[in-house]
Parts: sequence; C-alpha cells; structure tokens
Amino acid sequence: MPQRRDLIASAIVVLLLALLPLAGSRYAIDLTTEVMIYALFALSLNVLIGFTGNISFGHAAYFAIGGYACAILLTTYGWPLALALPAAVVLAGLVAAVVGYFCVRLTQIYFAMLTLAFAMLVWGVAFKWKEVTGGDDGFTGIKMPEIIAHHVGYFYFTLVVVAAGIAALWVICHSAFGLTLVAIRENSVRAGFIGVDTRHMRWAAFTVAGTFGGLAGALFGMYHRGMYIENAFWTESANVLIMVLLGGIYSFIGPIIGAAVLHLLQTFTNQYTPYWPTVLGLILLVIVMVLPDGLIGLVRRVRARGGRP
Amino acid sequence: MKYSAMLVAAGVLSAGTAFAQGAPIKIGVLYPLTGGGAVYGAPALVGHQMAIEELNAKGGIMGRKVESLERDDKLNPATASSTMKELITKDKVDIVLGGLASSVGLAMTEVSKQEKVVYISTIPKSIQITTDKLHKYVFRTSANTDQEGEAMAILAGKNKLAKICHLELDYAYGNDLEAGILKAMPKYAPDAKIVLTLKPKLGATDFNPFIPQVMAAGCDGVLSGLWGPHFVSWVKQAAPLGFFNKIKWISGGEVGSHEIAGELKGEYPDNVISNTYELWYKGNDPSHKEFQEKLAKKLNTQETPQWAALGYIGVMYAAAAMEKAKSTDPDKVAEALEGLSIGTPVGTLTIDAKTHQANIGQFWGPMVKKPDRAYRMMEPAEYIQPK
Repeated sequence: MPQRRDLIASAIVVLLLALLPLAGSRYAIDLTTEVMIYALFALSLNVLIGFTGNISFGHAAYFAIGGYACAILLTTYGWPLALALPAAVVLAGLVAAVVGYFCVRLTQIYFAMLTLAFAMLVWGVAFKWKEVTGGDDGFTGIKMPEIIAHHVGYFYFTLVVVAAGIAALWVICHSAFGLTLVAIRENSVRAGFIGVDTRHMRWAAFTVAGTFGGLAGALFGMYHRGMYIENAFWTESANVLIMVLLGGIYSFIGPIIGAAVLHLLQTFTNQYTPYWPTVLGLILLVIVMVLPDGLIGLVRRVRARGGRP
Repeated sequence: MKYSAMLVAAGVLSAGTAFAQGAPIKIGVLYPLTGGGAVYGAPALVGHQMAIEELNAKGGIMGRKVESLERDDKLNPATASSTMKELITKDKVDIVLGGLASSVGLAMTEVSKQEKVVYISTIPKSIQITTDKLHKYVFRTSANTDQEGEAMAILAGKNKLAKICHLELDYAYGNDLEAGILKAMPKYAPDAKIVLTLKPKLGATDFNPFIPQVMAAGCDGVLSGLWGPHFVSWVKQAAPLGFFNKIKWISGGEVGSHEIAGELKGEYPDNVISNTYELWYKGNDPSHKEFQEKLAKKLNTQETPQWAALGYIGVMYAAAAMEKAKSTDPDKVAEALEGLSIGTPVGTLTIDAKTHQANIGQFWGPMVKKPDRAYRMMEPAEYIQPK
C-alpha cells in the first residue's frame, strides 16, 4: 500500500493541477496538458527500463499505434470516444505483446536493437499505408467529442486519464509483479534460480509498457488533432528515453520529473534559439557524467549529504 | 517657402505620431532553421525579415509597428503544431506564416482551424491545404502540385514527347505531383505515353539501381520531381553514362533555381528544363529589380536564392490584408484575403476567393551554358502563371 504521505502529496498535486484553469492562462493549460501526456509516456517506458532493466529503443511505436488507432477510429470510423480510446489502448497492448514475444528472447543490446527494428517497422507501416494513415502528410483533422473539444475540457480529460494511468502504473510497479521485475533487473540469473520465469515476466512488463505508451499516444493525437509519422520515428523513442534517464530510472516519479523538465526546457529553449540539439547534447553529457541516477538521484544525494533521512 | 517648411514639419510630426500609435502587430512565422530543411528555411526567413523591415520603415501596418516572432519548425509537424499554438496562446500573434514540408503545412492548417487564426502557407505545396483540408482561415501563396504538374504537362506537350519516363520521390510531394501531372496530361500532352514510373525514396543518394532502367526504357523524355540534393545526386551518377545526351529532362521541384545551378556549376547537364519561383537575373515585374538589389545587399551576394521571395510575399499579403480589413481580427483578415490582389516582385498576384490559392507562377525554361559564367542560367525563362 502506498504510504499516507505519498497519497496526500499526490492528491495535492492533482488538486493544484485541477485549479490551474482558474488562473486563466491558455498557454499554461496547453503546456501542462503536453507535460502530463509526456509524463505518462515516460512512466510507461520506465516499467521496462527502471523496473525490469531492459532498455527499449523503440517505445515510440506503441505511442504511435495508440495515437493513430484512436485518431482513425474516431475520425474514419466515427466511433465514440468511450470505444475508440480503449480499443486503441488494447491494440497498442496487443502489438506490444506480439513484438515483446520476440524481443524478450534476447537481452541487452540485442533486445534494444530488436525493439528499434520493430519500431521502424511500425514507422514504415504508418508511412506506406497512405489510404489509412495519411502517409507522411500525417493524419489531421481528428474528430473530437464536443465535451473535450475545448482546451479546458481536454485539460481535465487528460488530467483524469493520466492520473488514472499513473495510479494504475503505481499499483502494478509496487505489486508482487513489480517487485519480481526489480529482482530480474538486479540479478536475472538468480531470479531464475528462485523460480521466476524471467522471460514471461519481461514479456508481461513489455506489454504493460506498450499499453500505457499507447494510452499516452492516444491523448497526444487528440491534443494535436493529428498524428504524424515523426511520432513513430526513432528520434521520438530517443526523446522519451532521455526523459526517463534525466528524471532517474530508479524512482517511480523520476520519469515524471524528467518529462516535465525536458519538455519545458525544450519549449523555452526554442523561443530563444533554434539550437535545441546542442542543448540536448549538453543535457545528455551531464546525465552520463554527473547524474547517472537522474535528477531524483541528485536530490537524494544532496539530502544524504545534509544528513537528513 | 516658410509655409511649405511648416507643412513638411507638420507632415513629419503626424507621421511620427502615427508611427507610435497602438501596440505592435505580431506576425508569427515558422521555417525549418536547423537540420536538412534549413537550406530552404533560412533564405525564406531572410525574405520574411526584409519585408518586415520595409514595412516598419514605412510606418508599419495601419500605423502600428510590426513585430516578427520567428521559430524553428524542425521539419517536424508535431513540433510545428505545438510551436504555432504557443505563438497564438502565449505570444498572441495576429497571423501565422511559413512552413516548408507538406506535413508541417497540414499540421499548421489544422491549428489554424482550431484556433481560428489566419495561416498563410508560403512554401508547402500539398494540394490538400487548398482542397480537402481547406477552411476559412488558411491561404496559400506558394504554388501547389496541381499547378506544377500542369506546367510540366504543358512542357511535355510543347517538346513533343512521345515516350515518357516518370520519376517521383516516394512521399507526399512526389505522389501529389504525380497526380497533378496525370490529371493534366490528357489535355496538354495527349500523344505522350508514360512507359515507366519509378519512385526512389525521399532522401535517397544512390540512384544506380534506377538509372539503367530509365536508359533501357527508350524514353525521349523524363518528367521528374527529384528536387534539390536528389537531382544533384542523380546528375552526378547519371551524367557520366551519357544519360542526358538524348533525353529531355523536364523537372519540377525548382531545380532550375540558381541554388542548384550554382551548386552543380560545370556538372549541370544539357537538356534540362525546369522551374524556379524567382531568378536573380531576370524579373517579370518592374519591382523585381529593387527587391533583388536589396536582397543582394542583405545577403552580401549578387546571386540571391529564390526562397527569399516566398517569405517576402507571405508578409506582403499579411500586411495588405490587414490594411484592407483595417483590423487584425482573423475573421476580417480572412475575408480581406479572399480575392485580394497585390503587386509583388514576381508580378501581380490574386488569391482565389474560393480555393484560397494565389495564382503565383513559376519561371520555366531550359538551363543553358553561358560563356562568361561558371554556372548555367535559365534562358529563355518563361513565366507560366495559372489562370
């Protein structure tokens, strides 16, 4: 069970976010919506990286599948949101299960390369299947239900869905299943010896990550009213990977912090200079050289030095 | 004498007060400024900035100063979408211009529809912007793939091509241009037959698998949508095989621009007929000379790039529409843009009230050697303007 302190802190965060539209800044609402979506996306990837110890270079694939599926079901087939969104998430999860079935047969760099290969396959399908996905023109003009078409409505919708998604991920990660994943991360051979079917467990983690990645993708597509093949490209996978690393992989909330910091930094940098890639390079350098356990790790170290628990 | 001096003084004073009135008008613009697209985006932005400087020197729009908010779209539609929203919601821009890639243009079209802010597409050619995805607030001042395809079909007919090989890049622009050409062929080149269609990938650098196929197909002409670096690579790989000796190469994608001629210099092959929006050495309008000289001074080179004109025209349209509407209200500006005619460095342009498409033309012509130049020039350059 979550500690009371954590529950209260989460409730306060959600409440503060819910009050945000009262401040009246349209820009702040939009930016927060984006950050929440990326936070869920990063958190879903961390089930694989932080908890299971498998680095995926192709997480954007499930983001894109969720986004495209939701967009196409809503627009082309005119499904109601209550059907389209769950269907898109299930589809992303199913594809993750199929891809994961093959990927978990490999470990380390081979696992990572295979995830990348499958993700580029998804990109290829989005690019080539022009009649359905719009190809590299992108799929724009997503039809939205009236109630969430307005930006404030969409903000609350995202808040509810992301909060539910994060809560679900918290429960999963802190269940016996989540602890088993940690055991696999720490010592996969030993976990195997005590009777854990490590391949099955990694497969399940892969599916969970893909499912929630798909949910984030669906939210992203609806927010932009469009999905584009760039969302399935490896650069998008790298972006979310950096969010996770920046925040800290050994902490549940690390990826949320990483997503917020990286996205805001990118947005603000872009207002002053087009040289975001240079800034990103420096950030990566700092993570690798100084902050191997991310911002959360830094906070912990500072606290430890201060002698506090 | 004294009286006239006072008049002048009064004039200067009133101009001065007019200049200071009101908050600045904000024009947002997105071009790719880093990565592969910067080669096109950066010169377009120079033209954009030049137009804004000129406006401000003349006292701005409706006496209000013009402020330019420039952002990088990174050739990424999702980035463009977020950045454009930011310009609208945070910076409160009055109008948005720009884009380069078709996908970016379509993403911006979508944001413009949601946010009810006017967007003028200055480079993207995707036909969808002015057909399927057309809405009240979107306009285009660049050519579209139907216009470009029609010009290519006209040239195929004029050059009496009988057997045509068709080369297009396998992505949005290539597919749309192909559709545009096929639509216009029965009318302008009824005797021509396409015997081979090949679609190399976007970003391809190795054309060796394609070149022999085209040479073996026995075409007397090629219709090509290979732009920029693709054309350069094709030329470098095909010219040594004598590819261009017998084949007429009719190409869209502005490979007749000075940028490409200057890059290939002596390697630029014979028998190429292509297009460009603007030529630094030839104008079709009296105002072109002044525009080009200013641009040359700004860029510090006589041989200025064509893309600047597109950025420039976008701003001119935005300014003219606001002056006509006497407002920055998007609804009024959009109404003003419908059917609006303005003089530009490439002649008078009119935006169609129904399709929201400007009738901008392009220079088309063969690229010929010049004795006193290291590069080829288009001669004769014919300005083909859609009706």
